[in-house]
Amino acid sequence: MKNLTYIFSLLSFFLFFACIGDDFIEDQVEAEIRIDANVESIEVNTDYQFEYTYLNEVGQSQQVEVVWSSSNEEVMTIDENGLAQAITIGEVRIMVSYDNGTIVLSDQIDLMIGSTTIIVEKQTFKGNIQTTSSYVLEGSFELKEEDQGLSLSFEEDYKASTALPGLFIYLSNNRNSIANAFEIGAVEVFNGQHNYTIENVEFNDYKFIVYFCKPFNVKVGDGSLEE
Amino acid sequence: MKNILSVFVLMLFSVNLAQAGGPWPQPKGKGYFKLSEWWVVFDQHYTDSGKLDPNATTGVFNTSFYGEYGFTNRLTGIINAPLFSRNYMNNIRSNTTQEIIVQGEAINSIGDIDLGLKFGLTKRDAAVPISVSVLLGIPTGKKVGGTLNNLQTGDGEFNQFVKIDAGSGFSIGKTSAYISGYLGLNNRSKEFSEELRLGAEFGVGLMDKKLWLVSKLDVSESFKNGANAETITSTSLFANNSEFASLTLEANFYVAKRLGFSASVASAFRGEIIAAAPSFSIGVFYDMNK
Repeated sequence: MKNLTYIFSLLSFFLFFACIGDDFIEDQVEAEIRIDANVESIEVNTDYQFEYTYLNEVGQSQQVEVVWSSSNEEVMTIDENGLAQAITIGEVRIMVSYDNGTIVLSDQIDLMIGSTTIIVEKQTFKGNIQTTSSYVLEGSFELKEEDQGLSLSFEEDYKASTALPGLFIYLSNNRNSIANAFEIGAVEVFNGQHNYTIENVEFNDYKFIVYFCKPFNVKVGDGSLEE
Repeated sequence: MKNILSVFVLMLFSVNLAQAGGPWPQPKGKGYFKLSEWWVVFDQHYTDSGKLDPNATTGVFNTSFYGEYGFTNRLTGIINAPLFSRNYMNNIRSNTTQEIIVQGEAINSIGDIDLGLKFGLTKRDAAVPISVSVLLGIPTGKKVGGTLNNLQTGDGEFNQFVKIDAGSGFSIGKTSAYISGYLGLNNRSKEFSEELRLGAEFGVGLMDKKLWLVSKLDVSESFKNGANAETITSTSLFANNSEFASLTLEANFYVAKRLGFSASVASAFRGEIIAAAPSFSIGVFYDMNK
């Protein structure tokens, strides 16, 4: 009986090693701010609401106190909320900046104030995915704005390993993390041309495509969205 | 298709199939019983190309009962029952913000039970005893668990492992020793690939046979005839087409006439879709042959 007690005590002791711990990933990126505006020209004597996106040091979108400014207030004025008024015909540069305590981040956009508002045509990002693991993952892709959302299409040169189950594809602002990423879905095509239709995502919301293996909780590959 | 998931520790459950080693059936009415704790914790794995890739730290702990009992002098019943199995994955945290990105989880349950029979084709005291064994893997463990369905304490499939063992006992001076080998086929269901299993074992008895030191080589080669992520049709799939070659070092020490302790360490030195870390086991056994 004494031996049994000892044995069970020993076995119970080993179960204490079976506690959930922490794995850390290096996910620091450079913070950035950008103006989200898809216009080339704004009609004179109209208002236009500018928006911004601030991505913090892990690529997470945050609301912050930004400063809006106009290069020529006789052409266009802008208030602290990004609401602009087109005053007269001419050229103007709209800027946004944010001091995060370490660095002042800024972005700018050059516009024409004219007789009509001109929206930028549907945009396209192109890029290549590459493996960041030992599993095969390669190919070129295109992200397009469509009437019903976004279309992410892969070309004939696309190839992904079938040995790795539970492979998912994401849109993310951090190539090393799927935190705050948009899950497009499970990878079901492993070779050749195919397409994903993405709804409820704006064209400029994300910067990277990330392939992530859920069962292993590990990134498999990525690709940058480039103009 | 959306539930195609895998945990590549699958093979670690199946490895136990090879535990019923040696060509020697138990004598009638005699047996060998063992209660053990087996565990592996790993943060990297062998990929499909045999290279090492990182993964979230994963642990598997099995508290198992293993028994062999001689129904006749040639027919032995075998059971390997993981009475308690725990599988966990660590939290994935941002090193920048310390926030949890993927929540770690654990599941606990009974594991997959193996039941089998070993039949001696020769007498136990033959110069080269030979036996055949049939072991059935019963999917009593949890095949999916956790919110991401990426934890398991079993593979969810019935399998039949048929093997032939041969070996021989001999002396090296005054030291008792044995050598044995096996060759087998593991037939698996649920779109898993079949496997060729083979291995060899060498043991020496020291300190008047109170201490047995054993080394084992186990090899599993997949026929790669099952489903992969592209072709799976069932709703659930664990790691398939896994392969390994592993070495085990084991010590068994009799602290009483029939009672002893055992400890072992095993590690794959080659593999595909399998954990790349040593596994450990400690246990206590009762040997009625003494």
